[in-house]
Amino acid sequence: MAAGDAIRSTRPGGRLGRVTAALVQWLPLGIVAVLWEALSRFLVGGDLLPPVSQVVVNATDLLLQGEVLGHLSVSLFRVAIGLSASIVGGVLLGIGMAQFRAVEDFFDVLLTMTYAVPKTALVPLAILWLGVGTGTAVLVIFLGTLVPIVVNTYNGASSVDEKLRWSAEMLGTSDRRRLRKVVLPATYPAIFTGVQQAIPFSFIVLISAEMVASRRGMGNLILSYGQLGNYDQMFAVIFLFSLVAFATVGVFNRLRSSVLAWE
Amino acid sequence: MDVETSLDAGTVDVDDLTMTFDSGDDGTTAIEDLSLDVESGEFVSIVGASGCGKSTLLYLIAGFLTPTEGTIRVDGDPVLGSGPDRGVVFQEYALFPWRTVLENVTYGLEEQGVPKDERREQAMRYIRMMGLEGAEDLYPKELSGGMKQRVALARTLVIDPKILLMDEPFGALDQPLRESLQDHLLDIWREVEKTVIFVTHQVEEAAYLSERVIVLGGSPGTVLDEIEVDIDRTKDRSDVVTADAYNETRRRIRDTMHAEADY
Repeated sequence: MAAGDAIRSTRPGGRLGRVTAALVQWLPLGIVAVLWEALSRFLVGGDLLPPVSQVVVNATDLLLQGEVLGHLSVSLFRVAIGLSASIVGGVLLGIGMAQFRAVEDFFDVLLTMTYAVPKTALVPLAILWLGVGTGTAVLVIFLGTLVPIVVNTYNGASSVDEKLRWSAEMLGTSDRRRLRKVVLPATYPAIFTGVQQAIPFSFIVLISAEMVASRRGMGNLILSYGQLGNYDQMFAVIFLFSLVAFATVGVFNRLRSSVLAWE
Repeated sequence: MDVETSLDAGTVDVDDLTMTFDSGDDGTTAIEDLSLDVESGEFVSIVGASGCGKSTLLYLIAGFLTPTEGTIRVDGDPVLGSGPDRGVVFQEYALFPWRTVLENVTYGLEEQGVPKDERREQAMRYIRMMGLEGAEDLYPKELSGGMKQRVALARTLVIDPKILLMDEPFGALDQPLRESLQDHLLDIWREVEKTVIFVTHQVEEAAYLSERVIVLGGSPGTVLDEIEVDIDRTKDRSDVVTADAYNETRRRIRDTMHAEADY
């Protein structure tokens, strides 16, 4: 269960309670919007910081023109591929480490060593290997999201309740089947947590990679508008991308509560 | 040697059992030179203060742990690991949280390769026996402690073990619920004719349920006393708890445990 759900469930129920809760949740965003608008209109000036109302209008125009959608789909495709690869690799690695001492010893050092390396620093190297384009973005997303998925999966798979394993054993589950019947289902929540942590990373790393190593995508679009001095449009793209990232996180949270209804 | 008339219940012979857990340089000995026999169809309680090794003894009989010295035989055959002939019920229930009540109860049948229709039919029989009709599709998190323990019992009974090993199964439940489940367990024991080894720290529970009480104590744990409880178990609770045999048993267990604690 996400932390937000846990907090919400302790609040008084009923329609009024839910409306109040929703208002409270969106309040900080509202305050930021008001401050932003005031700052831009009365202090900094629209050239440096376009007012939020203008950004929303521009973002809507961009959407209607449709060009941005091409860039967005390129970006989302890269995230989807990079993240999928990292989920597959991370889950295999995490469970492997939890199950086999040798795998754990081998990758433990490697992960600890690479943990603190900013994955965006690998962009130039990735360009060297894969050139400018999708390959580089995907590789950097993969590397940037692998660690949270491995670590969460490993922690989940290595802390499966002993009594659950014994229960399965006593009911006739062989050592070979235990992984599929007990360890994997018991680890699903940890895997989901890992992916939930990885999603924001994937968007951050994507933009960094696309700014340097791509001729398409949202990162490239942001940088292009910035270099042209077209800050209105640049802000609009950032705004749209934030919305998409926010929606992705929301969709994934929904997915978790429907797949892991038993949690 | 008439196979036809033999009960579907097993015997347990424990000989000179010693269990030492490795912890650093010198191990901790939980059980030393412990011997006991349990007859087919018998209801035996093992009672003792916490830390006397009673749960360890149960896990050794279950085959989850391997003894340091000594042997355990079930129906004359040495125990080499856990198996569906010995069903275990844990205090913590240890239900599979990702499976519904029905899926928890069918688990053991799945592992034995019983066809799906038959699995459901057999599981429903035990779900009804435990008074769980209507809760089949609930997940463990939606159940009360008492219901969870009924599911755990159904999950174990459905694989038709010869011996039921119960580790403080009602320890986490409050008094009225515990008493009702005790009576339910006695009804089931009469109906299914299994051997039951019931671990508890509760003197009243041991005296009320069992035909024989084994008092464990000391560090490392050994058998301090063995008491046959001669009560007509077809009578109601109110008759049993006023019977001399029940109260005499209670007094004797208590005296043995107190003498041990004072020492």
